[in-house]
Amino acid sequence: MDKATSSAEILRSQIAATEEELGRLKEQLAAVEAKEAEDLNRLSMQEKPGLVTQGNWPLELEEYKRYGRQMIVPNVGIQGQLRLKAASLLIVGAGGLGCPAAAYIAGAGVGTIGIVDGDIVETSNLHRQILHSTAKVGMKKVESAIEFLASLNPNVRFIAHNEHLSPQNAKEIVENYDVVLDCTDHPTSRYLISDICVLLHKPLISASALRTDGQLIVLNSPPLPHGDPSGGPCYRCVFPKPPPAESVVSCGDGGILGPVVGIMGVLQALEAIKLIAAGKLTAREGEKAGEASMLLFSANSNPPFRSVRLRARRQKCFACSKEGGLTLESLSSGSLDYVLFCGVTTPVKILEPQERIEAREYERVLNGGKGKDHLLVDVREKVQFDICSIEGSVNVPFSTLQGNRALAADEKPLWIPQTLPTNAPIYLVCRLGNDSQIVVRKLKEIGLDKDGRYIGDIKDGLKEWKKQVDSSWPEY
Amino acid sequence: MSTSAKAPPGHFKILYFGPAENHTSITSENLPAPLSVAKLFSTLEKKYGGIKTNLLESCLVTVNLEYVDIPEDENDEGMVIQEGDEVAIIPPVSSG
Repeated sequence: MDKATSSAEILRSQIAATEEELGRLKEQLAAVEAKEAEDLNRLSMQEKPGLVTQGNWPLELEEYKRYGRQMIVPNVGIQGQLRLKAASLLIVGAGGLGCPAAAYIAGAGVGTIGIVDGDIVETSNLHRQILHSTAKVGMKKVESAIEFLASLNPNVRFIAHNEHLSPQNAKEIVENYDVVLDCTDHPTSRYLISDICVLLHKPLISASALRTDGQLIVLNSPPLPHGDPSGGPCYRCVFPKPPPAESVVSCGDGGILGPVVGIMGVLQALEAIKLIAAGKLTAREGEKAGEASMLLFSANSNPPFRSVRLRARRQKCFACSKEGGLTLESLSSGSLDYVLFCGVTTPVKILEPQERIEAREYERVLNGGKGKDHLLVDVREKVQFDICSIEGSVNVPFSTLQGNRALAADEKPLWIPQTLPTNAPIYLVCRLGNDSQIVVRKLKEIGLDKDGRYIGDIKDGLKEWKKQVDSSWPEY
Repeated sequence: MSTSAKAPPGHFKILYFGPAENHTSITSENLPAPLSVAKLFSTLEKKYGGIKTNLLESCLVTVNLEYVDIPEDENDEGMVIQEGDEVAIIPPVSSG
């Protein structure tokens, strides 16, 4: 019996000890659960504005997520990101360069972005101007661009300038920004933007593109006052003399591949982000310009990229040297005539009225049974002729008649068929009726009209052919 | 264009960028070296009539990827382009 009593005693004490242990575990669990609840509570309070209990971060939580991938790149970091947020940047031109540049700059979180452009979106823009969509044809480019960019990054403040940059508005617009991107398409705007950036001490990132080639230059960086040789060169230091006006080719005339101008715009965005993140918007005490360079891109060349070293500021530069005559007053007052400086192209007008025929008159020649006894020469470049041409016309590209390849006097060109009577008329045609006039003059100079042959052009070219004769003509 | 190929002995290579090609119809060629840069424009003018005023005078010219000043007087001294050098004619492109 004693044995049974002692076993029961042992079991009772074991149960008591286990129950005590169980109680302790329950207490511990309760403490852990209470702490978890408290932590959860604190976290949810942090997300509510005004209830922050700890952590005073300089960016919004969403911004850490949005920019995290670029902030962890050593050259950017949190300081670079804060500089981007504090910066204001002006994009002049919302076209083939400005669109890709703006997309990356807005994406990167530059705090304020201004866009200058007075144009509206056209169908021929869409293959390269990636912020504009088909539905936006007819809309102002600046508004179309900002609509896209605001949906990409609502943190950015966008400022619309629905006008072209001019000597009159340049100071007022540019002075509010830290850095400028030249995404325009004409020599006059290139010189104007460079000049105003020199005068207002703004670094300038300039790019251009045509066909399969592009150029990129960072100018006026560091943006020291004019006369300080330590500042970066300006556009006039690199190209003091504008190209002759008649040699300037636009993307509309020369053509452009979307990715080529896209590459150049993206490179502008990269240079802007590098400059801002590194804190180089203003010159530092005693700072000297590094070696300025121009990056050349040629899609069909090997290697496709080349970097050439540029001069420092030109000693006699009109804009950035001490001797130069550029002042804010002379620029704003319009006494500096950029149009005159770069030259003006007026429509070619070298033929007499009797040397030109209307498109509908030529149609009568074509259908009047005399069709065999004339020659229609289309002087557009072959790539354009291949797209569309008038039946029976022969293609003699304008470029093949230039310079040393010009026609020699008294030499019958090979493209005139042997069977063509020497007095049969020759008509010239081109896209708009400029080049055709020049060729008419040349053909007369070499004496092709000496047997009483009529030589003339179709007035206003194939543009009028579409209007007057063939509405199905594919205008490109 | 095969711009990476070296010029043959006694020549330098000249590259024509962008709109320069419209005047020359080629993107690069080899010309006899040595040649002073002061005589570069007149040498090209003989080959491509009209190229001096229509193109070269507004261009940036580099030798071995470094800008060079073209003296106004072609009898001026100035640097001499040597055999094997690479010269580039870079016209301003303003479109975009």
